[in-house]
This record gives sequence, structure tokens and C-alpha cells, in this order.
Amino acid sequence: MAPVTFSNVQKSYGVHPVIHGVDIDIADGEFVVLVGPSGCGKSTLLRMLAGLETISDGDIVIDDTVVNDLEPKQRDIAMVFQNYALYPHMTVADNMGFSLHHRGASKTEIKERVDWAAGILGLDTYLERRPGQLSGGQRQRVAMGRAIVRDPKVFLFDEPLSNLDAKLRVVMRGEIKALHQKLKTTTIYVTHDQVEAMTMADKIVVLNGGRIEQIGSPLDLYDNPVNQFVAAFIGSPSMNFIEGHVEGANFVTGDAQLPAPTALPNGKPVVYGVRPEHFRLDPAGGIKAEVVVVEPMGSETQVTMQIAGQNVFGIFRERVSARPGEVLTLGVDQAHTHLFDAGSGLRLSAA
Amino acid sequence: MKSDLSPRMKVAVYGLMLVLLIPFVFPTWWMVTSSVKPISDIFAFPPEIIPSRFDFSTYRQAFELQPFAQQYWNSAYIAAIVTCGTLLFSAMAGYAFARIDFPFANALFMVLLVGLLIPSEVTIVPLFQIFLGWDMINTHWPLILVPVFGAPSVFATFVMRQFFIALPKELEEAARVDGLGRFKIFWTIALPLAKPALGAVAIFTFLHSWNLYLEPIVFLSSPEKFTLPQALTQFTDAYGGAMWNIQLAAATMTAIPVLIVFVIAQRQFVEGLAHTGLKG
Repeated sequence: MAPVTFSNVQKSYGVHPVIHGVDIDIADGEFVVLVGPSGCGKSTLLRMLAGLETISDGDIVIDDTVVNDLEPKQRDIAMVFQNYALYPHMTVADNMGFSLHHRGASKTEIKERVDWAAGILGLDTYLERRPGQLSGGQRQRVAMGRAIVRDPKVFLFDEPLSNLDAKLRVVMRGEIKALHQKLKTTTIYVTHDQVEAMTMADKIVVLNGGRIEQIGSPLDLYDNPVNQFVAAFIGSPSMNFIEGHVEGANFVTGDAQLPAPTALPNGKPVVYGVRPEHFRLDPAGGIKAEVVVVEPMGSETQVTMQIAGQNVFGIFRERVSARPGEVLTLGVDQAHTHLFDAGSGLRLSAA
Repeated sequence: MKSDLSPRMKVAVYGLMLVLLIPFVFPTWWMVTSSVKPISDIFAFPPEIIPSRFDFSTYRQAFELQPFAQQYWNSAYIAAIVTCGTLLFSAMAGYAFARIDFPFANALFMVLLVGLLIPSEVTIVPLFQIFLGWDMINTHWPLILVPVFGAPSVFATFVMRQFFIALPKELEEAARVDGLGRFKIFWTIALPLAKPALGAVAIFTFLHSWNLYLEPIVFLSSPEKFTLPQALTQFTDAYGGAMWNIQLAAATMTAIPVLIVFVIAQRQFVEGLAHTGLKG
């Protein structure tokens, strides 16, 4: 277990910078998720931490040691790869005990550690099988077993669930989180799936184009995104954005008026952000929305609507029986709305 | 074969396949059966598909007329050394070209491949002069050194490189995280997974060395140094006429190790495929 620090970490391939000075502080035992769209540099950051990529500038510190120039084996980390990277010619037990064997551990010690890890992961009956004889979820567990037998300072996960089907992904998500709660080892987890990020992380780092957009707890990012990118990326279905301008205490778009969360100079072009679940059916709400599609889910009703010609998506706890073309009157919870600068995308606070 | 064919079609298809089999099986059949016929029966008309008289003394005579056991051993140990040497060098070179970043790697690989384009007939005279200078004529050294460092090894290196390129990089990265250095990764991870490629290389390298004909007749002059293909041409009577039955007995014995190597390496080949085919 160890704290990890990235300070001004940069990476370029030739003249092309891909990571532009990243600073992250990860506390001992924390579960941190790096999330962002493809090509945002999240896997590169993880591989730099693992020692599989060189660092162009800045420092990576694991447990008070600068590891920039250390080989992976000297960093005391364990990594779970996207395609598991199990050695196909070895049994499950050999795969899990490989690094211990290589470090000169005794046979009894290897067996003890492998049995312990297999017990935690429910792999006891598969130890003599080859990876090829296992299902995707079992292979994933073996990959995790290979990581935990070493009792490393830091666990690294590189999109470990993306090869699994949706159902198994939910199960494994729970297992990884439970494992972390049991072992309390510092964990850094890379994913492009914001649901994984939200459900697993103590702290999320949102990356875009090799830069950090925001760092915070899942609910902090959800409730207080610093910009439109984070607002759009975190949350599913994603936040609605409506373009318009400010007039007094209201946001105006076309002939519709919505209550603005902050007072701003009149006429300023802004983007209004509201999450689908923050709309409510309210005859006194004063927001007219024309129904486009109604999708009853049973527990909730999802409605695609248009406000002043702009598509918005709403989720209602009630059953909505409106037909396409009908007009609903909505209200919004003002405390949960945001205004973003139309140019920079930054969230605007009270002037 | 899918069983949606009618029985009549099935008979026709199998019949056709049997006919097509004849050109492949007949020469071997003729070789084996003629090796146990008296020489007068070999050219009898109509030809005897199944021998009516057997004469197994041909196999004994093959050993009496020439130092055939010695020649057998020559071929065997040369082919074994060439195969092991080629496997070792081509696996290491192929891995280096596939995985290690070094300056001009691709250009160097191209230069290496050019070696495949030069026919052995072109290089045989300069090679003779080189080995003459090294005092290696009428020794087995040229037959070992030329294939291990020549065209067959280049082809083997090409095969190994292509295989290692296709091997998932994550396996090696996982091994690095597990604490292995470059050579150990090669030895404990990459090489065991390369069994199918190694099997293919072993088959064709062994065959190439076993069947080598031009180089032995250029470099060797005394019968006890001969290899089998060269020795087979020496079964002649006092007038230079071929002693067919003895020659074919020797040829039959020559073919057996090839079959054995093929069966062994083929199993490796298929087993290896079965392992790496399952995505890790």
C-alpha cells in the first residue's frame, strides 16, 4: 500500500505531445478511476506509472520514491490488462504463481499465496486448468489473482471489463470493488465507461486530450461539473444542454424561459445545463415542452421533448401518457441547473 | 465431409479422391515394393503391383556395398545439428527483428531477405574457395555452416519474425510487470508459445538438410563422409549400371527418418496451434 503522486507528468511521441503536464495526488489505499474518451491519454498515464512507457517530463512518485527510471519490476506494482494477458501455456496456478516463482519464493510460499488468492476469487477448482479452458469472467479473475498474490503497493487496471458482456461487467465491477475493500491496496483503474467510474471510484480523474478536466468524488463531479465536457461525460443519460442567453433571473431560449441558477449580465450567450431527472411535471412550472417520443420503462418514463426547437431528454418517476405532439408543462429544480459559457464551456458562477 | 450429399454422390466423390491419390501414393509404393523384388522383376511387363517373389537381401547388400551405416549417421547428425542451430538462431533473430527497437532494423531485415533471392548454384564456387581456405573441404563443416547461416536460416528467421509480431504484446508486458528481463521473456514466454512456428521451421530445415545434394557432391569426396542422397547414386555395378533394387532399398531406408520427424514435429505444430489459437 502506498500513495502515488503525478507531478507535471508529460509525454510526447516525437514532437507530438499526448500528455500535457498532469498533476494527481492519490492517497494510500484510495481507489482512483481515470476516465475519458478514447485517445485522452488515460491508458498512457497508467502505462507510464507501470513503467511500460517512458516519461518525457515531470515525476511519478510511488511511496516517496521517484520511479521515472525504474523498471516495472522495481516499482512493486501489479497490472491487470484489458485482454487479461494470461500466459496460455501455463495453468491457472502457474499463471498466478509466476511472478513469485520468478522472485525465488519457495514452493510452499507460492502454493500458500496462490491458494489464498484463489480462495478470495473463487478459483479453487480451476487451478489446474489452462486459461483457454476458462470463461471470460474466470479469466478476468485469474488476471486479478495474478495481481493480488504479489501483494503489491499499487494495483493498476487497464479497462479490465471491456471484453466482458454487459451482465458480467456488472458482476465483476462489484467483485473488484469488494476486493479493494478487503485488501485496501491503492488502486488506479482506467476506463472509458463513466458508469464504472461512478460506481467504483473514491476519486475520479476526468481526462480529455491529454489534460485533466476535473478531479473529484463521483457525486461531486455529477453535481458540480467545472465545465460542459465533464457535465456531458459524467452521468447517463447525459445532461441536457440548451443554447440561449440570460435575461434577468431567467435563461431565455426562443419563446421559452427557464429559471437560471445564477444572476448574470443580460444578453450573455450561455448554455443551460439540466440533467434529465431534474425536470418534473408541474402545471405551474411554466416550461412548455413538445413531446417527441415517450419510452415507458416501468419504474420510470423517459421522454424526448423539444423546448423552443431544441431536443431535451427527461426522466420522470410518474407514468406519462402523453402522445407525440402534445405539450407538457414542466418545472425544474433550480438548485440542480447549471450555466456554461457558450464560448469556453466553463461553468459560470454568480457574477 | 458434410453428409448432405446423396449416397451415390458420396461414392462418386470418394472414388474420385481415390483416383487422385494414385499419383501421390504410387511412387512410394513402387519404391518400397521394388526394393524387395529381384532386379529382373522390376521391369517385368506387365508390371507387378504386388511382388510375386521377395528378396530381402537387398537391404543387407545396401550395407555391404557402401559404408551405408556411416553415411546414415552422417546425414542424421548433420541434419540434427542444422535443425537445432537454425531453430536457435532463427528464433532469436526473428524475435529481435519483431520486438527489439534498434537502428535500421527494417533495412537490415530487407538486406537479410535478399539472401533468399540468390540461388545456391551461384554461391557454391565462392563458398568452395572459402572453405578450401579454411581447410574444410571433405569435412562436414560446410554442410552445417552453409544452411545454419545461409538461405534456409533466413527463411526460418522470416517465419519466426512474422510469428512473434503476431504474438500479443500484452503477454510480454505482463511478464515485464511480473519482473522478467528481455531474455527470460523470450525464453519462458515467447519461445514456448512459438511451438507451431518452431515445428514448421524444424520440418522444413530437417528436410532441406536431409535432401541436400549439390553441396555434398561439391564438398565431399570420400564415401565414408558421404550423406545419403549422394550415397544413393553410388549403388552401381561394375559397368556403371544402376542396381535398382538395392538402390530402392537404400532409398526406402532414407525416407523413414523424414517420416518420423514429420510425425513428431507435426504434433508439436498442431498442439502449438491449439494453445495460441485460444486468445489469452
